Amino acid sequence: MENFQETAKRVFNVGWMNFKRNSYLSMGTTGVMVLVLFLFSGLMSLNYLASQIVGGLEEKVDISVYFKNEASEGEIAKVKSDLELLGIVKNVEYVSKDQALNEFKERHAGNTLVQDSLAELDENPLQASLNVKANDSSQYASIATFLEGNKFRSLVDKISFYENEQVIKRVLAISEGLRNWGFLLTMALALIAVLVTFNTVRLTIYSQKQEIEIMRLVGGSNWHIKAPYLIEGGMYGVLAAGIVVVVFYPMAYFISPKIETLMPGVSLMSYFVSNVFQFVPLIFFVGILLGVTSSFVAIRRFLKI
Amino acid sequence: MIEFKDVSTIYDNDESVEILNGVNLEIKDGEFVSIIGPAGAGKSTLLRLLTREISPYKGVVVLDGINLAEIPSKAIPLLRRKIGTVYQDFKLLSAKTAFENVAFAMEVCGADKGEIDRDVPKILGIVGLGDKLKSFPHQLSGGEKQRLAIARALIHRPRIILADEPTGNLDLVNSYDVVKLLMKINELGTTVILATHNREVVNAIGRRVMTMEKGRMVRDQIENGKYVI
Repeated sequence: MENFQETAKRVFNVGWMNFKRNSYLSMGTTGVMVLVLFLFSGLMSLNYLASQIVGGLEEKVDISVYFKNEASEGEIAKVKSDLELLGIVKNVEYVSKDQALNEFKERHAGNTLVQDSLAELDENPLQASLNVKANDSSQYASIATFLEGNKFRSLVDKISFYENEQVIKRVLAISEGLRNWGFLLTMALALIAVLVTFNTVRLTIYSQKQEIEIMRLVGGSNWHIKAPYLIEGGMYGVLAAGIVVVVFYPMAYFISPKIETLMPGVSLMSYFVSNVFQFVPLIFFVGILLGVTSSFVAIRRFLKI
Repeated sequence: MIEFKDVSTIYDNDESVEILNGVNLEIKDGEFVSIIGPAGAGKSTLLRLLTREISPYKGVVVLDGINLAEIPSKAIPLLRRKIGTVYQDFKLLSAKTAFENVAFAMEVCGADKGEIDRDVPKILGIVGLGDKLKSFPHQLSGGEKQRLAIARALIHRPRIILADEPTGNLDLVNSYDVVKLLMKINELGTTVILATHNREVVNAIGRRVMTMEKGRMVRDQIENGKYVI
């Protein structure tokens, strides 16, 4: 009887022979899998871009707490530390009256009317404030409620959340929509891709129906018959993944600058380069999984006794 | 021993279409039995029951005291290795040589290279194809193809050979060659069940003849003698 090494060698040899012997069909199946894996890579790019858009939008959202003039720096620092203790707050930035004035002056450096008006005033008209950024955009309402109930409420003049509430809600809705629809689209396309691969591999195995029938009739055990076809399916996956990786990176290299002109700071190429050790194994894993699973499902049909 | 006890089969789960209808028979080890009947009589179905390609709708098929319907799916390949099968259309792999066709039957059953290299030329020599090891099926005559199929069926040293119209695609000379080979195999102790519609073949064999018609066993001529309508 065969030992494990011999069995493995035979299974690989037969799988490779099947692959070579039906070269046109194998190329066709690999071609379909290349398209499917390209679709997966495209979906990963889309997800990355969507997450960048959502992140960018959310990054722009924050709330400011403006303090009355009588609030001391110590009292504001206490509010700041109270806020920082909240688990939902990402960071709190203190902007003093002087800092606010300086920033205002810098912003309007070329505007003589504003500069002259400020010079006319005896005192700094701007208020000290805290800029609060939440971990998640949906948490701004909770932060505003917390500030309303805070023991220093009497020091607070206004909270910008109430003025920006509609904008924040809108940003939240857009982010949610992008996430949900992106997920649904990904799932739908992934399902189509899986079905296409399944059917292609099934057709390939169908062409070898007679051989499978003969193997069954001469008493081949299910695993002896199945194993080379699973290897063949895996080979489609490996070859397809190899092609996708080789073609995808140059494509990302050329497309990336065009995306960057639309979305400054978003580099598709750097994303895929920095994640090369996740992306490449993932593509190979998906390819092999698709090929082997498709073969497994397809051959089961012919092995029903 | 093979026993069929009141065996009926139906077509595609449709009880109204019976293929076999209450078949009873007994075949002892080492017998040569010819089953004769027109197309659609149920001869092939009877053979397919023995390889568990199908199961009876009613009744039991027993091989060596084991009810075949009770064999678990995983053990069916083991059953098939005990039974060699030969078909009218040879069922050879066209892209493989004679050697590879027989070796293939050994490989799928887990034989190692040493066993294959030792046994395949030997069995091909026995069926008279010792000089055709590297020939592809399309390079062989009809008779040679069938002898190759017989070699493949014999490679597992089966106790039973089922031959379903093995001479159906052959001329008279080749038909007799194949029949002679089957008789030789039988003389070595292998049970042979031959399904055919060819009366001349059956007459030439001169062994037990069962006659089937419309799914029923209508005659079982146990003694030696000519098949006569």
